[in-house]
Amino acid sequence: MADPASTPLGKMLLEEITPVVMVLCTPYVEESCLKNVPVRTASDQPYRLRKFKLRLFYSSDIRQPNLEVAKERLKKVITHVGEKNFLESSDPSQVNNLLSSKFTFDFDIFSILAVGFLGGPESEMLPSWFQFFNKELVRTLSFSDHEAFDHPVACLLVVSSKDDEPVNRFVDLFNTNKLPSLLNDGAMDPKIMKHYLLLHDNQDGPFNKATKLLADMRNAFGQNDCQIICFNSSQDGKIHHQDNPWAPFVNYLTLRDYYKSDALPTENLGGFLNLDDLNEIKDFMQELSSKHIIPYMEQKIRVLNQQVSATRKGFRNQIKNLWWRKGKEDTIDTPNGPVYTFNSIESQIRILGDYAFMLGDYELALSNYRLISTDYKLDKAWKRYAGVQEMMGLTYFLLDQSRKEAEYCMENAFNTYLKLGSAGRRNTTRCGLWWAEMLKTRDQLKEAATVYFRICGEDTLHSAVMLEQASFCYLLSKPPMLHKYGFHLVLSGDHYKKCDQIKHAIRTYRSAIPVYKGTTWSLIKDHVHFHIGQWYALLGMYDVAVTHMLEVLASTHQSKTTQELFLRDFLQIVQKTGKTFEVLKLQLPVINISSLKVIFEDQRTNASAAAARVKESLWRSLEEDIIPSSTARSNWLELQSKIMPRKYKESNICVAGEALKVDIEFKNPLQIPISVSSVSLMCELSANPEEGKLPKCMYICIHAFTVFLLLGGSNILLLYATADMGVLHDDCRDINSCLILSEVDFSLEGGETTVVQLTVTPRIEGILKIVGVKWKLSSAVVGLCNFEFNPVNKRVGRGRRKQHSPCSDLKFLVIKSLPRLEGFIHSLPEKTYAGDLRPLVLELSNQSKFPVKNLKMKISNPRFLYAGNQKELNADFPACLKKKMNVEKSGRHASVNKTLQNLYHFPEDISVQEETSLSWPLWFHAAVPGNIPLYITIYYEMEGVSSIMKYRTLRMHYNLQVLPSLDVSFQLSTRPSRLQEFLLRMDVVNKTSSECFQVHQLSSIGQQWEISLLQPVDSILPSQSLFAGQSLSCFFMLKHSPLDLIILKISLQDRRRSSTSEDSIPSLSHIQSDVRLGPQDNSEAFFDVSSSPLADFHDCERSSQGMSSQVVNFLALTFFICITINQNLMLLPFIFFLYQGCEYKVDFVFITQLPKGNSDSSSNTPLVFSHHACDCSPSSMSPISWLVDGPRTIQHNFSDPLCEVNLKMTITNSSDAIASVHINTFDSPSSNNQPIDDATASQPPEHQSGWSEIPIVNDTKIITTEALTTCVPKSLSLESVPQFIWSGTSSTKLVLQPRSTAEIPLQICVFTPGIYDISNYVLNWNLTPDGENQGEANKSSGVCQGYPYYLSVLESNFKD
Amino acid sequence: MQREDAAQLPQFILQAALDIVQDLAWTTSAMILKTIDKFNDLVVSVYVTDDHILNISKPIHFLHFIIHTRFMLLHDSRSDDGIKSFFQEVHELYIKSLLNPLYLPGSRITSSHFDTKVGALARKYL
Repeated sequence: MADPASTPLGKMLLEEITPVVMVLCTPYVEESCLKNVPVRTASDQPYRLRKFKLRLFYSSDIRQPNLEVAKERLKKVITHVGEKNFLESSDPSQVNNLLSSKFTFDFDIFSILAVGFLGGPESEMLPSWFQFFNKELVRTLSFSDHEAFDHPVACLLVVSSKDDEPVNRFVDLFNTNKLPSLLNDGAMDPKIMKHYLLLHDNQDGPFNKATKLLADMRNAFGQNDCQIICFNSSQDGKIHHQDNPWAPFVNYLTLRDYYKSDALPTENLGGFLNLDDLNEIKDFMQELSSKHIIPYMEQKIRVLNQQVSATRKGFRNQIKNLWWRKGKEDTIDTPNGPVYTFNSIESQIRILGDYAFMLGDYELALSNYRLISTDYKLDKAWKRYAGVQEMMGLTYFLLDQSRKEAEYCMENAFNTYLKLGSAGRRNTTRCGLWWAEMLKTRDQLKEAATVYFRICGEDTLHSAVMLEQASFCYLLSKPPMLHKYGFHLVLSGDHYKKCDQIKHAIRTYRSAIPVYKGTTWSLIKDHVHFHIGQWYALLGMYDVAVTHMLEVLASTHQSKTTQELFLRDFLQIVQKTGKTFEVLKLQLPVINISSLKVIFEDQRTNASAAAARVKESLWRSLEEDIIPSSTARSNWLELQSKIMPRKYKESNICVAGEALKVDIEFKNPLQIPISVSSVSLMCELSANPEEGKLPKCMYICIHAFTVFLLLGGSNILLLYATADMGVLHDDCRDINSCLILSEVDFSLEGGETTVVQLTVTPRIEGILKIVGVKWKLSSAVVGLCNFEFNPVNKRVGRGRRKQHSPCSDLKFLVIKSLPRLEGFIHSLPEKTYAGDLRPLVLELSNQSKFPVKNLKMKISNPRFLYAGNQKELNADFPACLKKKMNVEKSGRHASVNKTLQNLYHFPEDISVQEETSLSWPLWFHAAVPGNIPLYITIYYEMEGVSSIMKYRTLRMHYNLQVLPSLDVSFQLSTRPSRLQEFLLRMDVVNKTSSECFQVHQLSSIGQQWEISLLQPVDSILPSQSLFAGQSLSCFFMLKHSPLDLIILKISLQDRRRSSTSEDSIPSLSHIQSDVRLGPQDNSEAFFDVSSSPLADFHDCERSSQGMSSQVVNFLALTFFICITINQNLMLLPFIFFLYQGCEYKVDFVFITQLPKGNSDSSSNTPLVFSHHACDCSPSSMSPISWLVDGPRTIQHNFSDPLCEVNLKMTITNSSDAIASVHINTFDSPSSNNQPIDDATASQPPEHQSGWSEIPIVNDTKIITTEALTTCVPKSLSLESVPQFIWSGTSSTKLVLQPRSTAEIPLQICVFTPGIYDISNYVLNWNLTPDGENQGEANKSSGVCQGYPYYLSVLESNFKD
Repeated sequence: MQREDAAQLPQFILQAALDIVQDLAWTTSAMILKTIDKFNDLVVSVYVTDDHILNISKPIHFLHFIIHTRFMLLHDSRSDDGIKSFFQEVHELYIKSLLNPLYLPGSRITSSHFDTKVGALARKYL
């Protein structure tokens, strides 16, 4: 370690703990000194000789300083420093200069290194005013009674030569009345060395008088102790010194002078003193100290040392002392310990120690301090004890011995002072300061910081400074403790704030910012920024305040009240600034850049916002076949590339006059509502550099030139310039007149997120760039957000150029205005019931000045929407759907292909003229329930408007919610008793909750089916309405007649010939393919299921419900070759079906209506519902079918007991294989059971199903098969009381060739009259696969239970 | 600092204690550093997780995160055992949340489950 004396603490001690010289002077002296501007020139002048210093004090100052005054003075100092530093730091360029530059790195090793390396000399970082402050703080403690180093060593009596009787004046001066109280009350030794000085002002008179006076003085007071000083020799006071003559001593001037020195004019300082005067003063001081004071002190030390040795040194003295003190112990009770006068031995020792200390004999000082400290401890004179301990610590330090001892002493002293409470408060401070300094000198900065922290007491201002010093200690410690640094700065700032030292508070808080920057300690950051903002606002610096308040605005983690407070304060401050701020990164509300979605329309236009949100890929797949093919497009691109500069080929195109929409998501991160207004886009519209501006410019130039020619040629350059300016002016106007920007206002609740759609409409051609968005928060602050500054992945809505940089996505080439069709489908319901069938009108309007043509339309889901015929536009619905009797049938225009491809070409002569609109009928059918998206694309071409864009597409998107309405299911089964006849069971359940449906009709598709009701509807459904939740089962007979073939053929030919022949219609009409389910007496016509739109929708249903239509097509194709001669392709499927025999498949359309007047008669109520079912086939088709035929009723005279009945069983094998059939008959019902059970066990369940007809009492009652198969045999066994027996063999076996029929005669014998159910037989059939025919392999065998055949045998009364 | 809005005070104290933790964590192998810092009557205790185990347990691409996880607790009482068990259980919870592949080590834990669990532990032990 370096010489302790050269350390800051050492220097301080050498300066502070020096002999005091008391100055007593007369008023005249003051007066003449005042001529030289420094107030107390002579008296305050210190002198420096070999580091020996004297402190000179007025006698009036030798007292304990007034606490309040001292405090006030310190406060002034701090305020002053605050102002000064604040001005420096508020200079924006210096904001970062001192410390923050070293904290640009975050908390890592780099910042530590940076502080270490860049920190440089510590003094640079440590504000210098701390030193002054500390000194001044220490100095407030001077002349305390328990310490001796402030005791005056000598007394300097000064009398002016102007005074009357100077000699007497000297005597008067050292009058005890005027002496400081400390000297009088015995704390200090009044018998001190006196030195007499005569001061002669040369301006007041000749020197002779003074010398005479000096002689008198010398006579009176002694030769050596009297001296004279002449000064103010300069006559006019014009002598200018090079520098302040007191400058060498200025570091010893009090802080008050330091503070004043800034304010005082320095040029005239010491103006009346010439060089001789100064030298004289210097010599005098030198003489005083070397010849008088030092020898005097040495003398005193010697005397005191002897005294102390005599009384206290040596074993005997110690014992005596100890004993003496023990005895004294009980009597002492005062808190400050006993009072020691200056001549008590304790005081003497202390003085001895202090004198030795002042003269640099630290060893002697230390031994004396040690001696006295035990005494004070025993005496419980704690304050003195602490003082001595303190001095011991300092002595140890200056001796550079035993650090531990030094620290121990200091701590001891500190704690002892602390124990004294408020009395020792300031001593604590001083002791702590010295201690901290000591630790700092030894690089124990962390410990020093803790000491500073401990110094903090009730005086908040001092605490603030101490805390700040502590923070610097943490910063300078190695490694730097930045967290602690920040914390203590903030603490210090709080204390400053409490003392209204706002500037200091701001300064400390600001220094702390870099510490917390980049961390996630959000509460801290908010606290710091918020308070800085508040304090700046208090100072009226609203601009800076706002920048800090901005930091805390988006504090999501804070409580609601805090957020409210932040926002309120922020707005108040902004209001006070009186201007609107534009803030680039305003955090409120938060803009979700990734949500940015630009919706623009080039050749693709959207009919609604919903259409714009649909994925581009979906549209593209839909539009694939209607937009010009790829080769055509490449040509088009080539064309485009010629026109557009390459640079912009990639950029997006938009059309002038059409709005670009930008969706942005705003989020309120706070819990409190905020209001946002005037949200708009920021855009730049510049002329297209190569297409727009140049031609324009040239055009104007030419124009100018012609003007010039007309004028007769005066100044072509001028005109040219004017023209150019015109263009420039045009550019400047852009934002105002060439763009229309939308403005949106909204307010966000706490935590709410909202998507705002902003639009910009360019009105002229050029290049449009969307720069960003701006908004106004609470109509006070304008927030800006530039889209490009955020390198977040951006997805532009249309997705076509996702791989491009966002900048290019936000750049648009604006082309000349083009026609744009608006499309709308009138009265398309949003919510409807499944099966809803209704006409709709598509309205296309063209607002532009140009016609569009070549319209095409593609619909994503033809099951739901279908383009109609133009003449259907005004047709009466639903009447237009009905069959028109005796009028020509509207042919199904060859729409099969179109329907399949969902593409509809408008007739070529259709175009949408300028400023008109076109209506087109559409048919709508809600085919299936669910949420159904509908996509419609309409393609159209413009003529000669733009070379860049030749066609456009209009995209429409609707979402339908189709609710389930009727659940219709069909079950078809062969009718056991009839060949080619089927039973159809229709189950309808009304699944709606409120609607009531009126059943209307059931139609089968294809004319070869005849359908009829088994029983009248009135009996099943008297109301003809299905109420909510009601279900209905209905049975129909379905008949397939091969005869139809011919009729069909005719009818189809009819249609082909556009129904020219009238004669075919009657023959068609007898085929009843529709069944009326409504009121039978109603003469209402049937809905025509064979014409558009029902037929078209049915085709769609077919294609979507099953593959059968394709099967038909395939088969039709195979037959094509054979029957081409007939020129009738439409017949083929039917032919196929007919000959196939077993492949019975039938389609049904079930039509219901909403009862008229049921709901309100608004146009949106569905009227007609159609439900389509395709490919219904008999559920169980056994290849073997049979028919028992015979008489139903016979009359027999039972006088002849045996009645034989002959029956005939016709068995048909409808399969392609040879079948062997085994007919078992059994007589008793009990024996009947067994084979049935076997059959149920062995056969798959579908073989049991099937429909049987039992004529029970109520003829209309229907029992389902499921019940029948299980219960019939048993019920039979119970019910059939009369017996009959089969005659003939009980088992017949026969072999049936494929597709052949055989007849077997059967006979039964009946004995009594009655009704007999002849069903107790079983057919076991077995298919023998005929070689390659594997089709029926899985159904190679089966058992068929006989179906009931009722025979009534009556008693005949007539005799033969 | 007797302020009415003293919500940030615990953060300040804990943050300031980081300096000491940084020093101490390298000098001792103990996981629990008791009473490392004080402010007035508030005491800071710290639980230092074992960095190595943490790193190994993460998938390989997370290795470049050097995770120094410290749990810091600001408390006034001195029930050492309670604090110890509290820290251990919180550590377990933390490891569980680390195992979430979507959680980026070092980021804020947003799971409300974690929150309530820690709250329950605090009620149990402290």
